[in-house]
Amino acid sequence: MAIVGQKLVQQLKTTGLKATLAQRLDDGFTRFTSGLSWNDVRGVLRGDPAPRPNTRVKPHTEGFWFHIRPSFYHEAVTTLYPTFRLGFLSAWIFVLEIITGIFLMIFYTPSPGAAYPNMIDIMTNVPFGKFMRDLHRLGAEAMVVIVTLHMWRTFVTASYKKPRQFTWFTGVLLLIITMFLSFSGYLLPWDQLAFWAVTIGTSMADAAPLAGPTINVLLRGAPEIGAGGLLRFYLLHVLLFPLIGVVFVAVHYYKVVRFGISLPPEMEAVGEDTARKVTPDKRVNFMPDILTNELMYVAVAYAILAISTVTWYAGAPLENHANPLVTPQHTVAPWYFYWLQGLIKIPHIFPFFPSDWGITASIDGFFANVLGLTPKTLWGIVIPPLVILLLVVVPYIDPNPSRRYADRKVAITLGVLFELLILYLTLGGRPQGVPVTGFGDVRGDPATEVAQDFIPDEGESIIKAIPYDQLVVGTHEVVEDLNVPDAPELNTVVHELRDEMIKKMQLSDPAKKLSNDATATLAVTQLQDNLKSVLLTINYTDAEGTAKQFTKGAWVHKDAGHAE
Amino acid sequence: MNLFKKIITYRPSFTVRILAGLVGFLAMLSVCTIVGISDIGALGERDINFKARSIEAGARTYAEQCARCHGLDGKGIEANGPTLSHISFVGKSEETIAANNVLGSKEVTKSTRLTQLGWTGSLVNYIRGVVAAGIPIKSAADWETIHPTFSQAYGGNLREDEVNNVSNYVANWALAPYESDDVILPPEPGTGGTPRPTAVPLSAEQEKGKELVVSLGCNACHAIRGVMNGAVGPNMTNIATIAEGKVTDEQYKANVKDQPAATTAEEYIVQSIYHPNAYIEPQCPQGACAAGIMPQTYEQSIPAADFTALVSYLLTLK
Repeated sequence: MAIVGQKLVQQLKTTGLKATLAQRLDDGFTRFTSGLSWNDVRGVLRGDPAPRPNTRVKPHTEGFWFHIRPSFYHEAVTTLYPTFRLGFLSAWIFVLEIITGIFLMIFYTPSPGAAYPNMIDIMTNVPFGKFMRDLHRLGAEAMVVIVTLHMWRTFVTASYKKPRQFTWFTGVLLLIITMFLSFSGYLLPWDQLAFWAVTIGTSMADAAPLAGPTINVLLRGAPEIGAGGLLRFYLLHVLLFPLIGVVFVAVHYYKVVRFGISLPPEMEAVGEDTARKVTPDKRVNFMPDILTNELMYVAVAYAILAISTVTWYAGAPLENHANPLVTPQHTVAPWYFYWLQGLIKIPHIFPFFPSDWGITASIDGFFANVLGLTPKTLWGIVIPPLVILLLVVVPYIDPNPSRRYADRKVAITLGVLFELLILYLTLGGRPQGVPVTGFGDVRGDPATEVAQDFIPDEGESIIKAIPYDQLVVGTHEVVEDLNVPDAPELNTVVHELRDEMIKKMQLSDPAKKLSNDATATLAVTQLQDNLKSVLLTINYTDAEGTAKQFTKGAWVHKDAGHAE
Repeated sequence: MNLFKKIITYRPSFTVRILAGLVGFLAMLSVCTIVGISDIGALGERDINFKARSIEAGARTYAEQCARCHGLDGKGIEANGPTLSHISFVGKSEETIAANNVLGSKEVTKSTRLTQLGWTGSLVNYIRGVVAAGIPIKSAADWETIHPTFSQAYGGNLREDEVNNVSNYVANWALAPYESDDVILPPEPGTGGTPRPTAVPLSAEQEKGKELVVSLGCNACHAIRGVMNGAVGPNMTNIATIAEGKVTDEQYKANVKDQPAATTAEEYIVQSIYHPNAYIEPQCPQGACAAGIMPQTYEQSIPAADFTALVSYLLTLK
């Protein structure tokens, strides 16, 4: 101590207070940055040429955060192509998810009694609560998209080839973890959307042979999702999956640094990997070029996400409280699992012959009787793991040593076909199925569908969105030219309802046009001073000629904000 | 193609990087600032939206669970449920939604019913209590029919959020309550309701009968207040009074089968035990009573002395 004190006194005597203080502060700053003084950092951010001797290498050798970053990149990988910075963006969205996720955790209790009121509290009582929730949700969806694009880019530039097979494998795991992270967060709001999407998801596990029911009970904590299931999904979402994610991001990134970012295919001789052999004239130093580039990317990406959250993004939905007794019409999984729902909808083991040939039915019968394999088990349980396995083995089964696009016509064609197939299944996974071919269309009778479109129990409701004042009390015939004074939106919606009803009736019964006798009424009743009930009644004749009546109601409060 | 190549090989210059990064960073900050400022008002608006949606959800639960006794318009149904939308129960409030959750705010007229009951909490909390835990004891209801327990916590079928929603809905009538005199209201506390059974000292034989109702297993299905709680067959708490009424009841006389109609209360009770299918009560705790539920073997299985004690005890239940 005495010596330190002496030195300080000596310094103060010789250079004065101001200079001593500046020197000491800069000293601390240099220790904090593992070797860069304030002027060095300033030089980096100004784009000054590196000083000699180059102090900018020091953080790479001495500091923790920068020792995992290379001190230079190959010039060819610093443009947008070939990486498009997709892996880098995925990692930073993961960070964004952790930040927003921790914020949300503060206001959340994983219990069926508390979860839903917590969600309402986050939106109505917590400053920035809705913003953080929407950003967390948008980030999750963006992460699925970007991770998928990252994998697609790696496939197209053939960067999975030797020596990067294992990197690709960890990447496949990270894609699965990304999807599981997104999916496990789905249950937490404990609304109808959450409850039924996860019920569907876990029932897929239930259908698996042998361990299926056990996995299902382990996931749900009971035969049905309840308090146990919610707690389990919460722990998976905030603990297990992020932890596995961090570990595999570390492994994945270590491999990326170890082997270097693969150069654009056209720059290398066939079968060679020269990513780590960077001649000095091709080097782009991490500081200042890569660092400033990355700072820009993160700032712009986060800004785009933040601006999207408050502008075009509809926000994370919150439907009614989870109700195990009421299944909403057209329950769907999250959109990135639509392709799985599409797979389950494939009606036959071998669906490629027209079904009226009879041979498809015989094949189904054969598999069901001999192997106990139904189309649902095949497409929903057996195929998805095989798809993942296929992704894993791509580097090992691709015999082509070349990474050049011209040499990989077969692989790229197969990849595009695979993508198109996934896209087709994704479209088919929706309740309305694929346009034109009609695959996956599970819509029911026209009256139910019209009601689902205009006055559903969950989600956006066109009729509820009519301004409260324009919901004029009385029974309105659903006719072409309804003309209730001072209620233009009511008139428009009724007009659309009429068109849609006729359209759906005709679609369901193209030949007989029984739809012409379909009539409907919209009855609006004043229940309380600020509350109206709306009852849609559709009278129609079904394809068998039976007269049917369908009714569906909704309640609209003056201050519920549906119209916004 | 050239443009495409230009885009994918674009390497932003140093100035562009610093500028774009700064713009991004500032944009992020501005969004946060805007959200922070707009949340000051937006939180309150969303709060009102969600309370309004709670009332909408409550309207659905009310229509499904409450309307069959209290009427869809809350005006009550004779012999089933009292009027809820009346000013004497919900009072009158000026404020829209907030008033339901804040004690006494913007209240114009107080609920006279709650004053009579001596309830000092808020209207919505009283409703919540009754919906959730019911009024399962007749003497507390002053009303012919008890109020069932609806909360899952008390054996009902509504979740806590549904109880809250439906309570918000009922309390929302306070904005424009029904004010006419043409209503169905429970009697004032202490002035009516179900007559309470009078406590009569029991003889030794009657005491033995009181033990027999349990040891013979009557308690599996029947209830006698303070003695046993079966919930399958008719309630026996006032069976002596009921039996007396039956012997002059035309509905009973018309419907008794295979047996002569009883002429005294004792005969009615004996007949009910020995020949349970002779006459079936219309109303049981879980809906309509059914023939064949009660064993028809008691004439053979109960010793004569025990049977006399049993009947003498039941005749004290006036």
